[in-house]
Amino acid sequence: MDIAQKKFLIGGLVVVGALTYLVYTGIKETSVYYLTVSQSASMATTNRDFRMEGTVIPGSIKIAPGSLGADFIITDAVKQVPIKYHGAIPDMFKDNIKVVVQGKYDKDGVFLAHTLLTSCPSKYEASKQGGKI
Amino acid sequence: MNQLGEISLSLSLVVVIYAAFASFVGSVKNNEALVKSGQNAFFSALGLYTVSAVVLMYAFFTRDFSIEYVYNYSNRDLNKFYTVSAFWAGQKGSLLLWAWMLSLFGSVAILQNRRKNAQIMPFATGIISITLILFSVLMVFASPVFKQMTALPPDGYGLNPMLQNPGMIFHPPTLYVGFVAFTIPFAFAMAALLKRQEGEMWILSTRRWTIFAWFFLGMGNLLGANWAYVELGWGGYWAWDPVENASFMPWLVGTAYLHSVMVQEKKGMLKMWNVSLVTITFCLTIFGTFITRSGLISSVHSFGETTVGYYFLAFLITVIVFSSWLIYSRRELLRSENRFDSILSRESSFLFNNLALLGAAFAVLWGTSFPMISELVRGVKITVGPPFFNKVMTPIGWSLLVLTGICPLIAWRKATFSNLKKNFIIPFVTAVVGAMAMIAMGLRDVTAWLFFTASVFVLTTIALEVARGLKMRMADGRENVLTGLFQLVARNKRRYGGYVIHAGMVCMFVGFTGNAFNDQREVAVKPGESFTIRDYKLTYVGAEYNKPKPTKDSFVATVLVEKDGKKLGYMRPEKNLYSNFDMPNSEVSILSTVKEDMYLVFLALDGENNATFKAHVNPLVKWLWIGGMIIGIGTIIAMLPDRRENRFIQSLMETGKKV
Repeated sequence: MDIAQKKFLIGGLVVVGALTYLVYTGIKETSVYYLTVSQSASMATTNRDFRMEGTVIPGSIKIAPGSLGADFIITDAVKQVPIKYHGAIPDMFKDNIKVVVQGKYDKDGVFLAHTLLTSCPSKYEASKQGGKI
Repeated sequence: MNQLGEISLSLSLVVVIYAAFASFVGSVKNNEALVKSGQNAFFSALGLYTVSAVVLMYAFFTRDFSIEYVYNYSNRDLNKFYTVSAFWAGQKGSLLLWAWMLSLFGSVAILQNRRKNAQIMPFATGIISITLILFSVLMVFASPVFKQMTALPPDGYGLNPMLQNPGMIFHPPTLYVGFVAFTIPFAFAMAALLKRQEGEMWILSTRRWTIFAWFFLGMGNLLGANWAYVELGWGGYWAWDPVENASFMPWLVGTAYLHSVMVQEKKGMLKMWNVSLVTITFCLTIFGTFITRSGLISSVHSFGETTVGYYFLAFLITVIVFSSWLIYSRRELLRSENRFDSILSRESSFLFNNLALLGAAFAVLWGTSFPMISELVRGVKITVGPPFFNKVMTPIGWSLLVLTGICPLIAWRKATFSNLKKNFIIPFVTAVVGAMAMIAMGLRDVTAWLFFTASVFVLTTIALEVARGLKMRMADGRENVLTGLFQLVARNKRRYGGYVIHAGMVCMFVGFTGNAFNDQREVAVKPGESFTIRDYKLTYVGAEYNKPKPTKDSFVATVLVEKDGKKLGYMRPEKNLYSNFDMPNSEVSILSTVKEDMYLVFLALDGENNATFKAHVNPLVKWLWIGGMIIGIGTIIAMLPDRRENRFIQSLMETGKKV
C-alpha cells in the first residue's frame, strides 16, 4: 500500500469513526426510557424525561371544561400513578385503555406529562369483534 | 370463480419452480431449448398471476364477502377508486401485487435482454424465478389469498377511513414498483458473476432499471410522507417510524449504488463494492417487505400475521449467504483496474457520497433496531425517536448536499488547484454572499443557515454547468438559447437529467430546513372566538353535523383565516366517525403556499359547540412536493433512449469486446 492509498484508508476510517461517534452519542443523548408503572419509581428523583405505559383506571379521568388536558390515574395492576397531562386529548382516550405518557415526576410524586399516546389495537384491520358472524 | 384464482396461484408455484430449474440447467448444459422453455414458463407465470389478480379485483367489485380478504377491506358503501385500492390495503393482496409486478418486470427484462445478454439472461431469469417462488409459497400456504369466510356476511367490514385518501391509491403500488424493480439489477449482477462474465455490460443493460426502481422507491416514500401529512394530522410528514425507515434504507443504499456504478463504468473501479451494494439494496427491499408485512414491529403498517415473517427471514438469510459466497469466490474477476490517486478527485467524492449514504442507512438501521436490541441484551426498554434521527441525519444530510455541488465538477483522478479554482470560485463566492445576506436579513438559526448556504452553492454549480454548456453550443451562432438548451440536454440526457434531479433534491432539502421554523398551538375556543398564531388570525365560526353515508357521521368546523388583516378564506377541518371503526378520524385542513403551510386540525367538540383546535405553521413544506416533481422530470430525461449509448452497446455486442 503506497502513501496515497494509506491516506485514503485513514480518511475513510476518520469518516467511519465520526459516524460511529455521532450514532453513539445520538443514542445516548436522545433515547428515552420506556417503563411500566412499577419500574418508574426508580425515576422519581431524576430530572430526566421518560415514557411510562399503563392502563387508565375507570372513573379517574377528570377534564376541566374548556381547558386542554386531563388528570387521571394509570396502573399496571400492581402500582398506580396519578398523571397531570397538559395538551390535546387523543381521540381514543377513555377508561380502561392502554396509554403511554411522556414527562417526569414532580416533587409530590405526580407525573407531569406533556405527551399522551393511545395505542390502537389493530390499526387497519377490522377489529376482531366487530361485524364477524 | 374464486377457485380459478386459487388454482392459478397453485399453478404459478409449479410454473416458477420449473422456470428456475429450466433456466439454470438449460444454461449450464448449453441447452437452448430448455432455456427457451424456462422463459416461456416465466411468461406463463405472469399470465397466471394476472388471472389471480383479475379474479380478486372482480371479487372486490362484485362485493364477494365470502372471501375473508374482501370482507376485511371493503363494504358496499365503498366507492370505485377505494375499492381498487382495497386490493393492496392488506397483506394478501400486497403479496399478489408484488408477484404480479415482478413477473411483469422480469418478462420485460427477458424480452429486452435475451439476445443482447444471451449469456447471462437464463441465470438472471432463474434468480428472479426463485424470488417468485417465495411469493407463491406465501400465497398458497402461509397466507392464502382466497381464504373463505366460514359464513357469508351481509356486508363487508369496510376500508379503514385513514386509507380512504387519494394518497393510498398511489403510495403502496409506487413503493412496490420501486422494491420489485431492484430485483432486476440484482439478478443480472449475480448472473454475471455466476457466468464469470467480465466487463460492465450487465451494468449498462440494467442502468434504466436502476433509475426506474430508484425513482419509484423515492416517490413511494414521498407519497407516503404526503399521505401522513395530509391524513394522520399530527402536523408532520415523517416520524422515523420503523416501517418508514424500512423503505427509506433501500432508497439510501440504492442511491449509493446508482452513483458508484458510474465510477465502475468510467474507471473500472469499485467492482466488488457495486455487486455488494446491489445485493444489500435487494436484501433491504426484502427486509422492508418483511418488516412491513410480518407484524414484527408494531407500527402504522403492521398486520397481525407473523408466520409470513419466518419465510421472509429464511429467504433473506439464503440470499445473504449465497451472494457472499458468490462474491468471494469471484473476487479475482472483481479486481479494480485503477487506483484512487487523490482525495481531491471525482472518484473520491463519489466514495464520500457513498460513505455518507451508507452511514445514513446504518444510522437509520441502528436507530430502528436499537430498542429491540436494548431489550434483548440489557432488558431495558428504550424508545428511539425523531430526536435521535434528526441529530444524526442532519450533519450527514448537509455533507451530502455539499457533495452534490462538488462531485459533478471536480476532475477525475486528481484535481489541480487551477481546476478547483476554475470550477468552484463562482459557486463558493455566491454562497458566501448568500450566507452574509441571510445573516443581514435576520436569519439566526445556524443549521438552517448552513443548509440554505449549501443549497445556494449547489444551485450555482448547476446553473454554471448549464451556462458553460450553452455558451459552447451557441459559440458558432447557429443556435439560440432555447434550441441550444434543448440540444445540450438532448445530447447529454444522463448528465443533465442528473442535474435536474439534483436541483430537485436541493428543493427538498430546502423543504426539510423549513422544519427549523415550525410553530404550533393548541386552543379551546367558543363559537365566534379568535386565536392567533404567527401572523395568522383564526376565528372559529361554528360547527355543523351531517351524515354523508349511513356508516359515516361527520362534524365540520368552519374557521375564518386572516393574515396581516387580509381575509384569506375559510378552512373546514372535519372530525368523522365511522360506525365500524373504533377510532374517530380527523380530516385536516391545509392552506399551502410556497412560503409556508397553515395546517389546522379539528380535535374535539363539546355539547355547547365549544371546540378544540391544533394549528401549525409549517414553513417551506411545499418545496418537498415541488422538489419531488422536479426529480420526476429529471428522471424521465435521464431514462430517455440515447443514440450514442445504444451505438456503444451495439458495438460491444458485435465485437464481443470487453468494456
